[in-house]
Amino acid sequence: MRLYSASSEETLRARKLLADWAGEGFLTQEQYQRLKQETVCELRTTNIFLRIVLFLFTLISVCAAAALFLSVFLPHSSDQTNGIFLLICAALSYAAAELAVSQGHLYRYGIEEALAVCSVGFLYAGMQAAFFSGTSYSPNPNAFHSLVPAVCALFSLWIWRRFGLRYAFPAAMIFAVFLPAYWTSSHSAQHVIVSLVYAIGLIGVIAVRSRQHSDYGGDDYSPAEAFLWLGIYLAINLQLSSLDLPPHWWGGGTRAVSEFASSFYWTTWALTWLLPPVGLVRGLRRKDRFVIAVGAIVTVLTLVTNKPYLGWPRHTWDPMLLGILLAAIALFIRRWLAHGPGGIRAGFTAARLSGKDKQWMNASSAVFGLMTPQSITPSPQTTSPGVRFGGGASGGGGAGGDF
Amino acid sequence: MTILARLEQWREQGAISPEQHSHLASLCRGEPFSLFLELNILLYAGVLVFVAGLGWTVTTWSQQLGDVVVLAILSTILAVCFWYCFSRAPAWSLAPTPASSAIFDYVLYLGCLVWCVELAYLENRLHLLSGQWDFYLLATAVLFFFLAYRLDNRFVLSLALSSLAGWFGLTISHWPSHQDAAYRQYALLFCLVVGLGGLLLQRRGVKAHFFGTYLNIVANVLFWAVLSGVFQREGYGIWVLALLLTCGASLAWGLRRRQFVFVAYSAVYGYVGVSTMLLRDINDFTFILTYFVFTAVAMVVGLVLIARRFGRHA
Repeated sequence: MRLYSASSEETLRARKLLADWAGEGFLTQEQYQRLKQETVCELRTTNIFLRIVLFLFTLISVCAAAALFLSVFLPHSSDQTNGIFLLICAALSYAAAELAVSQGHLYRYGIEEALAVCSVGFLYAGMQAAFFSGTSYSPNPNAFHSLVPAVCALFSLWIWRRFGLRYAFPAAMIFAVFLPAYWTSSHSAQHVIVSLVYAIGLIGVIAVRSRQHSDYGGDDYSPAEAFLWLGIYLAINLQLSSLDLPPHWWGGGTRAVSEFASSFYWTTWALTWLLPPVGLVRGLRRKDRFVIAVGAIVTVLTLVTNKPYLGWPRHTWDPMLLGILLAAIALFIRRWLAHGPGGIRAGFTAARLSGKDKQWMNASSAVFGLMTPQSITPSPQTTSPGVRFGGGASGGGGAGGDF
Repeated sequence: MTILARLEQWREQGAISPEQHSHLASLCRGEPFSLFLELNILLYAGVLVFVAGLGWTVTTWSQQLGDVVVLAILSTILAVCFWYCFSRAPAWSLAPTPASSAIFDYVLYLGCLVWCVELAYLENRLHLLSGQWDFYLLATAVLFFFLAYRLDNRFVLSLALSSLAGWFGLTISHWPSHQDAAYRQYALLFCLVVGLGGLLLQRRGVKAHFFGTYLNIVANVLFWAVLSGVFQREGYGIWVLALLLTCGASLAWGLRRRQFVFVAYSAVYGYVGVSTMLLRDINDFTFILTYFVFTAVAMVVGLVLIARRFGRHA
């Protein structure tokens, strides 16, 4: 199923690790140069910046080419004809992506990724135009219409496995979100269906991972499992499931209570407290960075959405308490680990062991440093002196309202 | 062959010592598993959320609490943060100096962000510098530059540079089109001052590791300023020339120093600028699409050649 051989990917992984170890001083430069010769691989890779730019320009050229063909050769054609043309484009894009890998040996090069992404996009637009363009909107669910997101979800999963593109997995999950709306108009049922679909996926991924014996932490199924945990949480947390809900948080979360049956509402509330520890414990037991991260994120989300869930009013000092809690937990864990023998407890350490961590810290500190003052520093005063203290959007994440 | 098998082979060949083999193999197995990044993110998020809540609280409750109480609380937090940092700061050095403790950087961040909240509060409640609010930005920039260089902190340097940019009038949200020319001049002046300052400090060996931060900020501001000139309806020729020169310089720097982010800057900004100029008065949709097909393919080919020649494993 996979386009790349396991040995090629292992070789690339070894090459990256060698560079990391040499950067950290675990290997001398002589050792690094010598061992690097033994990790030569036929796959063509590039750095992240050229990868992004190549992705962008490939996307532009493919989309422009399809639009050009449509405008020149099929200017007044029906939606069905356009749809069929887009389906042909999807097939051609996919074939080109396969060719780029099999003949060009491209690996995370941007070009083959953009072609694969285009094939998913063309497939979606093509199916929609070819099969459902003439149908008018109906408030009643129509299971036949769910064919488009279902096929696209499956195709995204195929791209994920075939090309190893991690972001194709959440794309498949997003397509799956649209499925229940075609089957039922009940919001509660839609939440349950999405959660069940993700839960089935999670069970499948966990089963596959339990059979794997990988000697490195970042296998392909790790981010997939993390995305599924996150997806299940987002599907069951009724305070997060609607984009227009956050304004209701400030006034107390009474809206969601009225929208759903009481038993369903309180079951989801209980689940929002149950899922984070389960995910965190699993991540820590497997030493899985992605699952740990998602476990931490959903824990914070549970704390943030608990008051709206219960319909309690928010206080302005809630973020301060949350900030103190987060910092206190981080400091406690750091100290607890540091006081273990050799700075290690239960196989965990707070020390930095990889150069990548330092790169991430440097890059993100520069980026966040640039973003933060824009939201803190006062705006030019163009109004009368009587204007009140506006915003106070502090720390880049603060409130934006006047008082 | 798995990485563990490779390590075993390299040990048998004598390429690595048994100690290195043991250490690297344990790292591969995640023994121990480092939580360094996660704990730092948690600390950073904690500081940020705390300051957000602090800002929200003082804006909401300032009437009830009174200015004196609010300013006393903010000043106390500020004083404690800076006392902590300066009492534990390592001796100043031109070279990079590691933080003295794990929370050192985060206490410094907290101090800097609380300083911003306090200044914003002072100006908005008491209007001490009414009409000349931008002096706050200059004062903030000066303080943050001092803190960044004294305490060796890249995050605070970024805060300083963006405060300085704000003083130069570069706040993006206040970049209305009718003042484009004036803002462009400020932007170019900012690039000149910051670029030369960064270069001078780097040449003198003063925290030379900060130079990358200077260069990235200057490059982006410069490209935005030049692009805004290219977007003008009239008199854009000189800006097109400036854009081409900037792209050339960025490309050359990126390739020479293997810093491919500058190659990406030159490709994206250059493409946007040149495309804007060439397609300015063209309404033929077919021509525009043809242009994008051929130029995007040309860009892909060019970038592939660059990637093959220079950017394989950088």
